[in-house]
Amino acid sequence: MANLKDIRNRISSVKSIQQVTRAMKMVAAAKIRKAQERMEQARPYANRLKDEILTLLPEVDRNLLELLDVREVKRTAYIVITSDRGLAGSFNTNIIKCAEEEILEIGKENVDIFCIGRRGYEHFKHHKYNIIEEHTDFWVDLDFNHSVKIGNGIISHFTAKNVDKIRVVFNQFKNIMVQEIVSERLLPLTLDKDVEIEVTDRLYEPSKDIIVKSLIPLHLNIQIWRYLLESYASEQAARMVAMESATENAGDLIRDLTRKFNNARQAVITKEILEIVGGAEALKHQRG
Amino acid sequence: MATFSIEIVTPKRVITEENVSYLRCPGIDGSFGVMAGHTDAVIALGVGEVKVEDSNKEKWIATSGGFVDISSEKVLLLLETAEQSFEIDIERAKTAMKRAKDRIEEKGKIDIFRAEAALIRAINRLKVSGR
Repeated sequence: MANLKDIRNRISSVKSIQQVTRAMKMVAAAKIRKAQERMEQARPYANRLKDEILTLLPEVDRNLLELLDVREVKRTAYIVITSDRGLAGSFNTNIIKCAEEEILEIGKENVDIFCIGRRGYEHFKHHKYNIIEEHTDFWVDLDFNHSVKIGNGIISHFTAKNVDKIRVVFNQFKNIMVQEIVSERLLPLTLDKDVEIEVTDRLYEPSKDIIVKSLIPLHLNIQIWRYLLESYASEQAARMVAMESATENAGDLIRDLTRKFNNARQAVITKEILEIVGGAEALKHQRG
Repeated sequence: MATFSIEIVTPKRVITEENVSYLRCPGIDGSFGVMAGHTDAVIALGVGEVKVEDSNKEKWIATSGGFVDISSEKVLLLLETAEQSFEIDIERAKTAMKRAKDRIEEKGKIDIFRAEAALIRAINRLKVSGR
């Protein structure tokens, strides 16, 4: 039986852990509302713009912009979006695992990586992947300028013909309990085979070329913005759930330990009584 | 009067979704009006005011640009920014205008196009806020 002092120390340390996890849960819960709202309000614009691009694509002149290039795929770039901090359950592990599986299938040497978030960066750096850019420590004050900055790096990597295809792996926010890992193609811009677009006869002003030229870069930046918002909301949700179950587990542990503590205390008392009784008996015999 | 549905969306939020009878947009090459039955078109918009008219009310929205997709189903405005006349922070617009003017006077050091664009946006906001 463990001694009383040890158990008491453990109980108090578990209690302080529980305080921390509970605080982290509260913080995540407060952040998630704002993050979710921001993400949900950004979705319509991103989706409408994407639809718009899809209707433009079938009749677009591919020579208009380097971004519209469709080349034979020799090298691929992966954008992996993770968080800066851990303690968010399997949030980062799952993303990294999914990205890594896909990358290893193509071959590590044929892939460039853009790491968004410290967790992913540390992993891929440690395993000596080919990292082109890393963006960390911006999640706290996330704004649209970050996505423009990230976007510029990615776009120039593509237009410089360093890579022929760009994929993104990120957590998509379904609801607080569910985040879905999504891996999708950002570039080149081509239509999926199963999507049918009605080509309509439309008027373009000032001209179709000008519209395409301004919309395509905007589309990419907005997509990246959407990835960041989705990932941020997912991160907070994952952390909240993880911390909630950690708080619960700490509660269970405290209950177990308290029971053990009481057992031990009871045993000590029993032992003391036995000793006293034994002593008294002995005295009685002496007198008698 | 025949109405048609419009949707005004910015990266920050959906501004409005409603049925209207008339819409005026600040095209890059000049303002134009849209009524029900307009031919399909995609038109780039510049800094200016969007006017929305319904049978009994009018609405003004300041925008810094974007584009509009007109189709028979609906008219979709994808704008970089959009503020309805009553939402505009006049004080902020005034400070922005002053800052832009100061910058333009300084000359040389700064990006004159950027300062001018900021000035135009600020003036536009003030104009729309007075509607």
